[in-house]
Amino acid sequence: MSALTIQTQALVEFGKQNNEPSWFTKKRTQALKKAQELELPRFEKIKYKRWPIEVTKPVEVIQNKLPETKTAEITIKDNVVVEFGQTTAKLELDPKLKAQGVIVCDWQTALKEHPEFIEKYFMEAIKDDENRLNMQHAANVTSGVLIYVPKNVVVEEPLTSYFIQDATTKQDFVHHVLLIADVNSEISYLENLQTYGEQNTTASVIVEVFAKAGSHVKFASVDRLGKNTTAYLNRRGHLDQDAKIDWSMGMMNDGNIVGDFDSDLIGDGSHAETKVVAISTGKQVQGIDTRVTNYGRHSIGHILQHGVILSRSSLVFNGIGHIIHGAKGADAQQESRVLMLSTKARGDANPILLIDDNAVTAGHAASVGRIDQDQLYYLMSRGLSKEIAERLVIRGFLGPVLTAIPSRKVQTELSDMIERKLIDGQDEK
Amino acid sequence: MSTLEVKNLHVSIDGKEILKGLDLKMQTGEIHAIMGPNGTGKSTLSEAIMGNPAYTITEGEILLDGENILDWAVDERARAGLFLAMQYPAEIPGVTNAEFIRSAINARLPKDEPISIRKYLKDLEETMDFLDMPFSMAERYLNEGFSGGEKKRNEILQLMMIKPKFAILDEIDSGLDIDALKVVSKGVNEMRSPDFGSLIITHYQRLLNYIVPDVVHVMMDGRIVTTGGPDLAKRLEAEGYAGLRDELGLDIKLAEDKA
Repeated sequence: MSALTIQTQALVEFGKQNNEPSWFTKKRTQALKKAQELELPRFEKIKYKRWPIEVTKPVEVIQNKLPETKTAEITIKDNVVVEFGQTTAKLELDPKLKAQGVIVCDWQTALKEHPEFIEKYFMEAIKDDENRLNMQHAANVTSGVLIYVPKNVVVEEPLTSYFIQDATTKQDFVHHVLLIADVNSEISYLENLQTYGEQNTTASVIVEVFAKAGSHVKFASVDRLGKNTTAYLNRRGHLDQDAKIDWSMGMMNDGNIVGDFDSDLIGDGSHAETKVVAISTGKQVQGIDTRVTNYGRHSIGHILQHGVILSRSSLVFNGIGHIIHGAKGADAQQESRVLMLSTKARGDANPILLIDDNAVTAGHAASVGRIDQDQLYYLMSRGLSKEIAERLVIRGFLGPVLTAIPSRKVQTELSDMIERKLIDGQDEK
Repeated sequence: MSTLEVKNLHVSIDGKEILKGLDLKMQTGEIHAIMGPNGTGKSTLSEAIMGNPAYTITEGEILLDGENILDWAVDERARAGLFLAMQYPAEIPGVTNAEFIRSAINARLPKDEPISIRKYLKDLEETMDFLDMPFSMAERYLNEGFSGGEKKRNEILQLMMIKPKFAILDEIDSGLDIDALKVVSKGVNEMRSPDFGSLIITHYQRLLNYIVPDVVHVMMDGRIVTTGGPDLAKRLEAEGYAGLRDELGLDIKLAEDKA
């Protein structure tokens, strides 16, 4: 039997066991076939094609239980969803929100109870036929959530998710998030992406955010996938008129990862603010490709990304500002900065501006530099160890991004995670 | 009692010898002043004692309580009791003054016995008050956007909070108006005790009217050329460095000669 046949049979079997609607299983098997014909996506200066990043294993129903130690770490009780691999460990949604029509459910429930959302939105902000990785994802998605906020509803308490990859098995982690903020709604959402287990695995995570007219989405994430996980992480916003998305992303992963973070500013007056902080340690490679595309008139797309690299690691920041012809009055600004703490680390910051209209504003700043020796010397001259002094300088370097993040809670959470990752990274030297 | 001793120190920067065999000995309870014309190596001496990695020591020793500290990194020297109030303190955005000073104090304490926040804040507030610094400066980022005078006061604030054995003040008076000079001097005088010694590096005698030294050294061309009491500083003020040089019969070219 060919690999394709085996994978197809596995998809059919997976659909059966989960009682998936037949149209979705059909969509899967078709995607699987098409995937072979597509190319891998290209990102400037990010060389990942030799990585085990493709989703190739036949899908399988795996329902492991999240270990107690891990459950205990999650202290949030309300408005929280916790998934471990394909299992939903916890889902608590404020009954008031439920009554207002807010939907938060896992992928299998969404397929059965809210198929209309999946039919309409799944792989629509991010098209499956853009590249092979997206198509493989569309075929093999095995977990995820659907979040829907109805018109005019304001979700005041943030919604927090924990997506914990089950790396106690070698199974690929193919996870999808659909977040739909309907007209004039508001939501603040914090996503925690983690790994439990040590197996060498592949993760494919796609997040699609639909911000309808006049809506406001505050999207924050703390990504800490494990050392042995090779990941493709693609998050994209589709913004209608006057919609706004604040992206705040902390790339604290320990393994190799391609991050593709995009905002399509479709509607007039739409606005995306993208903040990324990244720390690379050990021998890992993190390639981050952040794009804003202005279609709408007077749309605003801003990118601010700062990263720190230790040991022998690599970090690439691409910042792409693309203004489409007709987007009068559009604004695309970006700043990418990389701070190197080691002579063996490799950093890149590439600004890419593509401007197809005249009456617009656009700008970019990019730098890759070493830690300031005068600052280090000054701090150490007061008795601080080199490690602590470095962490303080780094904090100052990341400060402009962190303080620009709208939620105080996310700021604190990210700072703590940065501190932890830096301490671990310094230990490796 | 602690001692700080510099023996036959030779220091080069970019291959050029700046200190050419300098000797100095001091102990806690004493305040020494080093005076000298511009470009004579005064700042080099202070950076070399503190352990700035940009300075290469080619010969000689620096002894703290009899132990050679040349192999010690700057942070080790600091924790052993050395402090350098810098001429140009670095600005560190993102780190508040208050948390930085607390980290510096805790760096000297056992890991599991950090200073209590309550006690720390009380000390900090009192010390800032003593130095006429508004308490709001505690929450500002370290030296960021500080005026020249604010930076110097902030150096003295750190000195008073950290309480080192030996403080080197590198041209702490440069760019200070008379009020700021008085405040800075008040801080240093407050530190005077049998457990504290200070090495004050200055170009002008003015500062020494406020902080009266026990010993005055005159440095020229990378060496100490003469040593005396406070009256030596006054004599210098009257005669100038060139006058003293000629009196000592030294064949040294001073930067001032060009002017």
